[in-house]
Amino acid sequence: MAQPTSPPAEPAVADEAAPGRTDGSDAAGLGRLRAALFVTPALLIIGVFLVFPALWTLYLGVTDYRLTGIAAARPSFVGFANYVRALTDPLFHNALWLTLLFVFGSAIIGQTVLGFGLAWTLRSAPRWVRGTVESLVLLAWILPGVVVAFLWIALLDSDRGTLNALLGTAGHAWLVDNPMTVLIVFNTWRGTAFSMMLFAAALAALPPSQLETARLAGASGWQTVRDVVLPHLRRHLLTNTLLISLWTFNDFTPYLITAGNPDHRSEVLPVYIYLTAIPGGQLGFGSAISLLMLVINLALAFFYLRLLRERRS
Amino acid sequence: MSEIELTGLRKVFEGGVRAVDGIDLTVADGEFFALLGPSGCGKTTLLRTVAGLESADGGTIAIGGDDVTRLSPGDRDVAMVFQDYALFPHMSVVENIAYPQRVKRVPKAERQAAAAAVGADLELAGLMDRRPGQLSGGQQQRVALARAVAARPRVFLFDEPLSNLDARLRLSARTFLKRLQRELAVTTVFVTHDQAEALALADRIAVMEAGRIRQVGTPQEVFRRPANTFVANFIGSTPMNLLPGVAVEGGVTVAGVRLPAAHSVAAGTELVVGFRPEYATASAEDLPGALPGRVAIVEHLGTSLLLTLESGDLAVGVTVPEDAEPAPGTSLWVQPRPDRLLLYDAGGGDIIEA
Repeated sequence: MAQPTSPPAEPAVADEAAPGRTDGSDAAGLGRLRAALFVTPALLIIGVFLVFPALWTLYLGVTDYRLTGIAAARPSFVGFANYVRALTDPLFHNALWLTLLFVFGSAIIGQTVLGFGLAWTLRSAPRWVRGTVESLVLLAWILPGVVVAFLWIALLDSDRGTLNALLGTAGHAWLVDNPMTVLIVFNTWRGTAFSMMLFAAALAALPPSQLETARLAGASGWQTVRDVVLPHLRRHLLTNTLLISLWTFNDFTPYLITAGNPDHRSEVLPVYIYLTAIPGGQLGFGSAISLLMLVINLALAFFYLRLLRERRS
Repeated sequence: MSEIELTGLRKVFEGGVRAVDGIDLTVADGEFFALLGPSGCGKTTLLRTVAGLESADGGTIAIGGDDVTRLSPGDRDVAMVFQDYALFPHMSVVENIAYPQRVKRVPKAERQAAAAAVGADLELAGLMDRRPGQLSGGQQQRVALARAVAARPRVFLFDEPLSNLDARLRLSARTFLKRLQRELAVTTVFVTHDQAEALALADRIAVMEAGRIRQVGTPQEVFRRPANTFVANFIGSTPMNLLPGVAVEGGVTVAGVRLPAAHSVAAGTELVVGFRPEYATASAEDLPGALPGRVAIVEHLGTSLLLTLESGDLAVGVTVPEDAEPAPGTSLWVQPRPDRLLLYDAGGGDIIEA
């Protein structure tokens, strides 16, 4: 463990513990031992709360571990049985499909389109309109999930819900009849602020003379967006899509609104995993699905980063 | 025919700033017209109002006899070149030049051929497939010009098109621009804060201050007979001498020295006497109609030297040939050319006609 710069005869530990040492590998002059002491608490916390659960999940995924019963006391190794079961489970397929629908509808379409639309139209809006709309959109984003979930349940309640009162459709059970539509609209409403702010910042960096050149050429609003604005936003568009699709993919708020009901019709992956592992008690199986979800996340991220790198070169 | 006629044009910004304050102006068909003034004088706002990028708050704009005051920019048949060129970075040179035609749905082959022809005229032949980011500043400026030319508008509007070029390139681009405008004979309005550029390029110049036009005239008129002390101060690469004087019969006195000048004001009237440092000679001995002074500062202008003399409380500038450099402190006499002496009203600063 001796450093290349240490005198060979000296014991390495004593040398590194010596105060006031400043060679290239020790900029703070602490010595390796003391530096390690400072880092240890952080490493311990990361280890206990991040690395250990991750490895534990890996381990659980190949057992039949349950929350209660004999398998909880003495889980047995089942190999890839959990993975095989997940990949052939219609409920897993259902959850995956609903998640893709959720991501595509609320993030890629809903938040991106609405966020860009807001950023683009608010540019030329009077200051007070802009301030009001931005504050409202941001509010939806910063309110705690539990609070907004409760608001939406109150909004959509079939008997005394605000929406039914407004539409005069008393008795319509939105959460039962259109659970996925509700979730998609909800998440669009909840998450648009991020896309709006990102696009607003990107638009502020677009030279006004380019937009004016298009205006002078007689370009319509749509032509200006297509020819000048979108090419300018391409990089931001990719980054934004990557971030919001990952966030939406892993979002657990749907559980607070529909809890996967009715009949698994709003059971997106995070909800499915939770229902399987905790109330369902099948920790081993739940861990296996979690790992599959992680793989999908990585694949998504990899795909976007590849696209981004291609744009750059 | 595409003359531009502005009548009582006004543009007031939020907060009450009158950027364009009642301007009447006619730019003749095919004329190369300069809007000149210090920053904040409203020249760019005036240009943008003609383009339609700003809406007029009063008055009318007519191009070729058609009232375009309420038309959108795309319907005015004008092309603008911006200070930053406003090239689209994601399009090649040829796509940039052909863009206005693409908006007008000219078939692709036709508009690209037109763009290539214009590009060749503007010395861009080998660069048509490059992106703007791969071009030098001078090339980018020519692409921006080519895009304006290829649109075949009735009017060109240039917003400081040369000010992003380095000094050397600016001179050659200036010559290039003037030749191009002569060949195309398209009515052109360009904005500049550089009086030398305006004098060099324009057929006529409007000098602006605080949203108003202070003088309109050919470069000779504006240079030789500035209509007021503001223009006199602004035009010319060396600052004009503007000295307090008093009218006497057949002349004026400045610091007790009598200078001959024709005028019709009553003797004893206070006025401002103006002459350019180039229109005066310095001599080592006292001459009639010469102001005495002591050399305080010597500035090299290349082929000549600009001397600033202290003459009592006054500072008087005069240029001398490069090989006659006097030592600071030397006593000299400055004799303005009587036919280049200008008299201004001491209060309003307007020129007093002979």
